[in-house]
Amino acid sequence: MHDDHKCNCEQPLVPGIVEVIDIKEETPDIKSFYVKNIDGQGVPFNVLPGQCAMISTPVGEGMFSCTWQEEQEWLQFAIKRVGLMTDDLHRIEVGQQLGIRGPYGNHFPIEESKGKDMLFIAGGIGLAPLRSFIKYCFKHREDYGKIQIIYGSRSYADLCFKDELFDLWPKEKDTEVFVTIDRPEEGWDGEVNFVPTYLEKLNPDPANKMAVTCGPPVMIKFVIQALEKMGYSDEQIITTLEMRMKCGIGKCGRCNIGSQYICLDGPVYNMVQLRQLPPEW
Amino acid sequence: MKILNKSKLEEVLNRLGENADVYVPMSKGLQSGFYPWKSLEGGKDELMLDALNVYQPPKSVVFPQTERMYSLYQEGKGLKIEETYENDEPRVIFGARACDIKGIICMDEVFLTGGYEESFYKARRESTTIVANACYEPGPSCFCAAMGVDPLNPEGADVIIRDTGDAYIWEALTEKGEALSSTIKDLLEEKELSVPEAKPFIQQVDYDGVAEKLKGMFEHPIWDRTSEACLNCGICTYICPSCYCFDIQVKMYGHEGYRFRCWDSCMYEEYTREAGGGNPRPTGRERFRNRFLHKLEFFTERYGHPLCTGCGRCIVVCPAGINITSIISEAKEADLDA
Repeated sequence: MHDDHKCNCEQPLVPGIVEVIDIKEETPDIKSFYVKNIDGQGVPFNVLPGQCAMISTPVGEGMFSCTWQEEQEWLQFAIKRVGLMTDDLHRIEVGQQLGIRGPYGNHFPIEESKGKDMLFIAGGIGLAPLRSFIKYCFKHREDYGKIQIIYGSRSYADLCFKDELFDLWPKEKDTEVFVTIDRPEEGWDGEVNFVPTYLEKLNPDPANKMAVTCGPPVMIKFVIQALEKMGYSDEQIITTLEMRMKCGIGKCGRCNIGSQYICLDGPVYNMVQLRQLPPEW
Repeated sequence: MKILNKSKLEEVLNRLGENADVYVPMSKGLQSGFYPWKSLEGGKDELMLDALNVYQPPKSVVFPQTERMYSLYQEGKGLKIEETYENDEPRVIFGARACDIKGIICMDEVFLTGGYEESFYKARRESTTIVANACYEPGPSCFCAAMGVDPLNPEGADVIIRDTGDAYIWEALTEKGEALSSTIKDLLEEKELSVPEAKPFIQQVDYDGVAEKLKGMFEHPIWDRTSEACLNCGICTYICPSCYCFDIQVKMYGHEGYRFRCWDSCMYEEYTREAGGGNPRPTGRERFRNRFLHKLEFFTERYGHPLCTGCGRCIVVCPAGINITSIISEAKEADLDA
């Protein structure tokens, strides 16, 4: 089960070098980095929605979910500034070279979801990994049914990918986008609510649906509870797990939950699989 | 059979040292471990082939405590990796015990299977020849047989030596072992000696069925009590022949530097602390539970045998008196409804 090579490298811990070709400020503490090979030709590897990569600077190395890959053009990573390494990343400029290795981990159930209606529920930076699946569905629109996206952040400023949320995605065929912020603020006449409560209020029908959620751990827990209350089965609930990672290839030890290595076997799990894990996530 | 007379031992080690770094069990002051034979200082250090377990197992020969992986060079917006440091110089571990070699087999499974072959470990491992020293008299804290290790016929050995008093029976088992033997064939004799008699184990423990039972014990009260004394000092992971967890760090001097890996320990709070501040194993209790479940349940689930080889070192060095055989026994006897 674990013996399929996902990486061609003879030296899995040694990164390749990519160049940052664009940086976009998404929120006050989230930036999108677009990278491609330093010879200007394509990307170092292909990623499937939900897969991750180890990005490094001389300050450190960190695992990030790939927000989108534009074919052979570039890889995009939306990264929040939270620690030493991401602080370093947020200071760089276009043209900077970075280390990268991957792709790592499993991916969202793009095949199993075909023919289903899709419900995406995200909070904060949790939209970054989900966006790869959302955009994949739009790209292969005929393969998926109705698409509903519920997304929330602390404030309007903290909402990621605003042009897509308010402009592009609502125009997609058979698609609804629901946005909420945690606290009322001037100029915002939309929903003010926490994501799980908003979800319950919207009460989307579980029939023929896949629900995919990502966000802060506490949000994920309440979203799962809400989905269960609304009648979603364990097979219909997909989420991603997060642990500290160093190697990315299931060897350094720390990202285990039970006998699973989140970097290698995860990060994507459905509730059937999660119920078999010790309650440490 | 081939015999190595103990009077020729030094000559053999010198000869092997002509083509390889030879690591032998040795005392250095108050410390003991597998150190280069060439580093032995007469009158100060002592060869310890008779000891069952020196403090430090030989794991650092294939998995050094700190190992440079690759160079980094940053100038302006450019970043270069000019060199990687896989080390495939020939080396010999001479006189390793079955439990310690089993530790290396556990690391082989981690580093060389599961879809990725880790290149730094692979280089060292493939260039290493192991001469095992069969054990006939288990020590007071030995329990390897209970963990599936055969002390008389160490798995993973290229050569096995068996101590008959004045001489070792020398038996090459692999191509690597044959190659090593051929370099010292003039120092080996042909003679028939009888194999020593194996003595019984003093420490008794029954691991049978424990991995399966632990699956239902993640939230059992056993962990509250057993973890209470643990200081989270990490010495058990440091001296363990099979603990392999590592960290990756970087050292920069201005524009230049290198990225390296070093041993880490699941006993430490930083081990799982995320950049955002979250930590799934915030207190000693969760870390203690994870360590023992990893050894006795999770690893078995993944690789088919436990990540404990019964060497007994952690029992000897733990300042809080924590004993893994008691944890196994308590799990075995535990009431699941407790």
